[in-house]
Amino acid sequence: MQEGFLKEQSVLEGDLNSDTSHKSSVDYLMNWFRGHSIFVLAYGTGCGAIEMPPTFTSRYDAERLGIRGSATPRQADVIIVSGYCSYKTLRRIIRTYEQMSNPKYILALGSCTINGGMYWDSYNTIKKLEDYIPVDMYVNGCMPRPESILEGFIELQKEIKNGKASSWEKYEKNYEFYRKNQERVLGNIVKPAYEADWYLYDGGV
Amino acid sequence: MRFVNIILSFIFSVYTVKLFDTGTIWQLSLGNYGFNGLVIGLEASALSSLFAIMVSLSWFIISITILKSDKKDISFSRWLPLLSFSLLLIVYASDYLLFFIGWEVMSITTYIILSNTLSKDALIKYIIFAMASALSILMAIVILYSGIGSLLYVDGHLSFLALNSNLRVALVVFMLLGLFIKMGTIGFHYWLVDSYQQADNLFSAYLSAVLSKMAIYALIVFLIEVVKIEYSIGLSYILAIIGVTSSIIATFKAIKEDDVKRLLAYSSIAQLGYILTVLAVANGLGGAIYHSIIHTMVKLLLFINIAGVITITGRSKLSQLGGLIYKMPHSFVMALIGIIVLAGMPPLGGFASKYLIYTSLLDSKFLLILSAMMFASVSSFLYVYKLIYGVYLGQPTHKKLESVKEVSIWYLIPQYLISLSLIIIGTYPALVVPYLNKILTQLNQTEIPYQNASILSANIGSYNGEVVMFAFIGIFAIVLLFLYSINSKTKEAKDRFDIAYCGEEPTVNTPLHYGYSLGKELERVGFIKIIWKNSSSHFYDFLAKSTINISTITRKLYSGNLTINFHIAILFAILILWLGV
Amino acid sequence: MVGGIKMVLIDLLMMFVVAYFVGFLYYGLYRNITARFQRRFGPPIWQSFYDSIKFFNKDDSTSHGAMFFLGPVIMMTGSVITLFFIPFFKDSQHFVGLSEYGNLFVVLYLMVLGALGNALAVGVSGNPFGVMGVTRGLSRLFAMELPFYIAVIALMSINGSADIATIASNQTTLNAFAYPLLFIGAMFSFIGMMGQSPFDVVGAPVEVYSGPAVEFSGKFLAILMSQSAIFSFAKLTLMVNLFLGGASGFLELLVKTFILFLFVIAFGSIYGRFKTPQSIDFLLKVPTLIAVVGLILAS
Repeated sequence: MQEGFLKEQSVLEGDLNSDTSHKSSVDYLMNWFRGHSIFVLAYGTGCGAIEMPPTFTSRYDAERLGIRGSATPRQADVIIVSGYCSYKTLRRIIRTYEQMSNPKYILALGSCTINGGMYWDSYNTIKKLEDYIPVDMYVNGCMPRPESILEGFIELQKEIKNGKASSWEKYEKNYEFYRKNQERVLGNIVKPAYEADWYLYDGGV
Repeated sequence: MRFVNIILSFIFSVYTVKLFDTGTIWQLSLGNYGFNGLVIGLEASALSSLFAIMVSLSWFIISITILKSDKKDISFSRWLPLLSFSLLLIVYASDYLLFFIGWEVMSITTYIILSNTLSKDALIKYIIFAMASALSILMAIVILYSGIGSLLYVDGHLSFLALNSNLRVALVVFMLLGLFIKMGTIGFHYWLVDSYQQADNLFSAYLSAVLSKMAIYALIVFLIEVVKIEYSIGLSYILAIIGVTSSIIATFKAIKEDDVKRLLAYSSIAQLGYILTVLAVANGLGGAIYHSIIHTMVKLLLFINIAGVITITGRSKLSQLGGLIYKMPHSFVMALIGIIVLAGMPPLGGFASKYLIYTSLLDSKFLLILSAMMFASVSSFLYVYKLIYGVYLGQPTHKKLESVKEVSIWYLIPQYLISLSLIIIGTYPALVVPYLNKILTQLNQTEIPYQNASILSANIGSYNGEVVMFAFIGIFAIVLLFLYSINSKTKEAKDRFDIAYCGEEPTVNTPLHYGYSLGKELERVGFIKIIWKNSSSHFYDFLAKSTINISTITRKLYSGNLTINFHIAILFAILILWLGV
Repeated sequence: MVGGIKMVLIDLLMMFVVAYFVGFLYYGLYRNITARFQRRFGPPIWQSFYDSIKFFNKDDSTSHGAMFFLGPVIMMTGSVITLFFIPFFKDSQHFVGLSEYGNLFVVLYLMVLGALGNALAVGVSGNPFGVMGVTRGLSRLFAMELPFYIAVIALMSINGSADIATIASNQTTLNAFAYPLLFIGAMFSFIGMMGQSPFDVVGAPVEVYSGPAVEFSGKFLAILMSQSAIFSFAKLTLMVNLFLGGASGFLELLVKTFILFLFVIAFGSIYGRFKTPQSIDFLLKVPTLIAVVGLILAS
C-alpha cells in the first residue's frame, strides 16, 4: 500500500478543484433536479444492507427525499456500498458501476469502506474503498442506522446541488490509477473474448 | 427454365389485367358430342379476373427470385408454368367440369413438385388428402348435376333448389369436406404443415400464397352462387364456428413451433380461418376478398424473406438462428413490415382488411364470433413477435451467424415491391374498393360505400387511412428530432455482451438467445394445454386402426372353405333381391 | 383550409401538453396515495417531473444500435397517436383531435403499437431478462384484452356506431350503471392495462430485473416514462368516454378520470401479484364470463 494517505488525496483532488462543476444557472438548475431525484441501485453488497430496507420503506421513508429503488444499473444514479467488500463482490461492484450512466455517485456505508473496519486483518476483503472506486460520501458506523443513512443522503443531496459531487469525472480522469489497483487484487480482469472456442454444437443453444 | 418462367409470367400478368371483367371468353356446347345440355366455357367475370391477377402476379414475383437462385433450390421451376396454367383454368372456368379438370391437374402437379423434397410420410399424407379432397368434390359435382343437368355456375342455384333436402345436405357436406381439406381447416390440416415445411423454400411461398386461395375461390363460388348462404342461418353459424375454432387452435399451435416454416404454415391456417368465418356471414364477401389479397401479399413477403435467410445461413429453426439484424438490415426491415401487416396493425395495410371483416361481423350481429376472432387476432402477436425475435433480434447462437452477409438483391426486389404496395394500401385503404364493388354487384350483394381512396367506410363507421399514416409519420419525425437534439450523448454498447446482467459478465457460452422458446409457459393455462396435447394425428391413427380392425373382422368371413362361402353369397343375393323388389 | 389545418395542429399540441402534465401529476399523486396507504408520506407530487428532467439531462445514454434508438420513438408515437384519436370532450369542436377520422377499432389496435416498439428495442439489446419481461407482457395481453373487447363490441352494437364521441353522447344514464356487467368485465381488463396488481407481472422491478425496461438509460428511459404517463391518461379518457358518460369541460374530465384512477390504484395497493399463467387463467374465466353474460343481456 502506498504511504501518505493525505498526500494521495490531494494529488487526486488537486486538479479537480479548479473545475467548478456548476458553471451557469442552467447547470445549477439541473443539479437541483438531480439532487431531488435519486435512484438507488437495489444491490446489497455487504452486511450493511440490512439497514437499507427500513430506510426505503414505511419505517423511515426515504421516498420523502425523492429517493427510490431501481433494479438495473442502467437506471440507477447511486450505488450504495454497504459494508465490507470481498474481492468477489468488488468485481461485481466495479462491473455494475461501469454500466451506470453519468452522473453517478457512490455512497459508502460503514467503517469497513474507510479503513477495513471489523475485517482489518482479513485475507479476502479490501481495506480502503477509495483506492478502487471513487466515493462521494461516507457514512460511518457499524452499521449505520437508518437515521444516519438519511443524514448521509441529505449531505449527498447538498453536495450534488453544489456541484461538488463529481466522482465520476474523477474515475474517468484517473482511470489508470484505479485500474492498476483493481487488477492488483482481482487478477487480470478478463473481458469477454470473441476468439474463444465456440463450444456450442451445431444443434444450437 | 428461369427465363421461360419470367417471360411467361410477365405475359400472363399483362394478359390477365387486360382481361379484367370482360365476360365470356369461350363457350362450347357438348350437346353435339352426345352429352345433352352440357355446356362448358371460360368466363372472365370480375371475381375470376381478380383471382387470376393474383395468380399471375404471384407467379411473376416468384420468378424474379428464381432468376438468380441456386440450381438446387429451384428444381420446382420446371413445373411452375403447368401449375400456373391449371390454376388459371380453375379460376377462369365457368362450369364445374373445367373446374374439376384444373383442380386435378393442380393436385397432381403439386404432387410431382413435392416428391422431390418431401419425406415419404409427408408425401403420402399429401396425396391421400388431395385425392380425398378431389373425390369429395367430384361427388358434390355429380350430386349437383343430378339437379337440372347443367354444370354451369349460373345454373348452380337452380340446380340446388331442384334437389330434395337430403341431397342438399349431402352436396354441402361433400363440397365443404373437399374444400376444407385444401384450405387446411383444423381437423383436416394433417397434410399441410409437413408439406409447407419440407417443400422448397420458394415453393412454400407459392403454396401458401396461391394454392390456398383456389380453395377460397371455390368456396366463394359455392357459397355465394350455388347455396346462397344469406338465406340459411344454420349453415352460417356452423361455418362461422368452424372458422373461428380453426383460427384459435392454429394460432396457439403456431406459438409453440420452433421451425420457422411450420410457424408460417399454422399462421396461414389461422388467416384462412378468418376468411372462412367472414364468408359465412351475410355481406361478408368484401372483407373476405380483401383479406385474401392482403394475405397473399404478406405470405409471399414473409416466405421469400425466410427463404433468403435459410439460403444464407443454412438453418431454419429459431433455436439456431438469432442476432441477424445488423448483418441483414434490409431483410429485417422487410420482415418488420410483414410482421406488422400480418398482425393487422395500423397504419399499414393489414388493418384495412381486418376492419372490413370486423365491421361485417358487427353488422350481422355475430357478436360472440367477433369477440373470438378479435381474441385470435390479438393472440397472433405472440407468434409474430417470436418469428422476428428468433431470426433477427436476440443474440446469435453460433459462430457462423456472426459472419453472414445480406441476401442477394434478387431476393430483395420482390420484397421491396410487396412492401411498397402494402404501405400504399395502408395509406389509401379504399383503393381496392371499386373493384370489390364490381364483384359484389355481379354477385348481387350490397356494395361497400365508397367516397375516395383514403376513407374506408362500413355501415358502423369509417376511418381515414391517410390521416393515420401521416399522423404516424409526423409524430415519429418530431420525436426522433427531439431525441437527437437533446444534449445527452448516445454511448454505443461496447459489444454484444455489454448488457445489464446482474453484475456478471456473460461469455460466449452463456445461452443468451432466450426468447426463441417464447410462450412455453402458456402450457399451464387450461385450454392451451388441451390444444397442445392433442393433435389430429391421434384421430387419424385411430381411424386407421379402426379400419384395420374392421377389415380384420370382415376378413374372417372368408373361412377358406369355398362351399360355406358359396352358401353365404347365395343367402346375401336372395336377401338383396327380396329387399330390392 | 389552411386555417383548418392550423387549428387542428394547435388542438393536437394542446391535447399533448394537457396529457403530459396531467399524466405526470397523476403519477405523483399515485406515489403519494400509495404512500398514505402504507402509513408514510411520499415524495412531493411534482416528483415525476423531477425524475423526467433528471433523466433527460444525464450525460450519456447507452444504446445498442439504430433499432434500439428507434424503439422508444415508436413507443412514444404509439401513445401519442392513441391520444390523438380519443376525443376529450363529447360535444365540442376543440380538444377532439383526429377522432373524426378514426373510430374505436382504430384506437383499439393503435394501443398495441407501443408494446411492439418496446418489444423490438428490448429484443435488439439481446438481454434475456428483457425478453422475459416482453414475453410476459405479450402473454398477458391476449387474455387481458378479451373482456375489454367483449364490452366494447357490446357497446358498439348497442349504439350502432363505432365513433367514440357518439357512444359518449348517447348515454342518458351512464353506461356503467345501465350495463353493470359489461363495466365490471371491462374494469378487470382496465386494472391490468394500467399496470396495477394483481395483473402487473410485466414490469415487476426486482423480481425479473425490471422486465422490459432493463436496458433503457438516460434519455430513452425518460421517453419511456413520458409515454407511460401520456398513455395512462389516454386510457383513462377512453374509459370515461365509454362508460362514464364522457365530459363536457375540463373539471368534469379531471374529476372523472381521477375517480377512476383512484379506484384502480386503491385496488392495486391491496392485492399481490399473480404469476403470468395464473393471471391468464383468471382473466379468461371470470371476467370473460361476466362480460359475455353482460353482452347477451344487452343485445
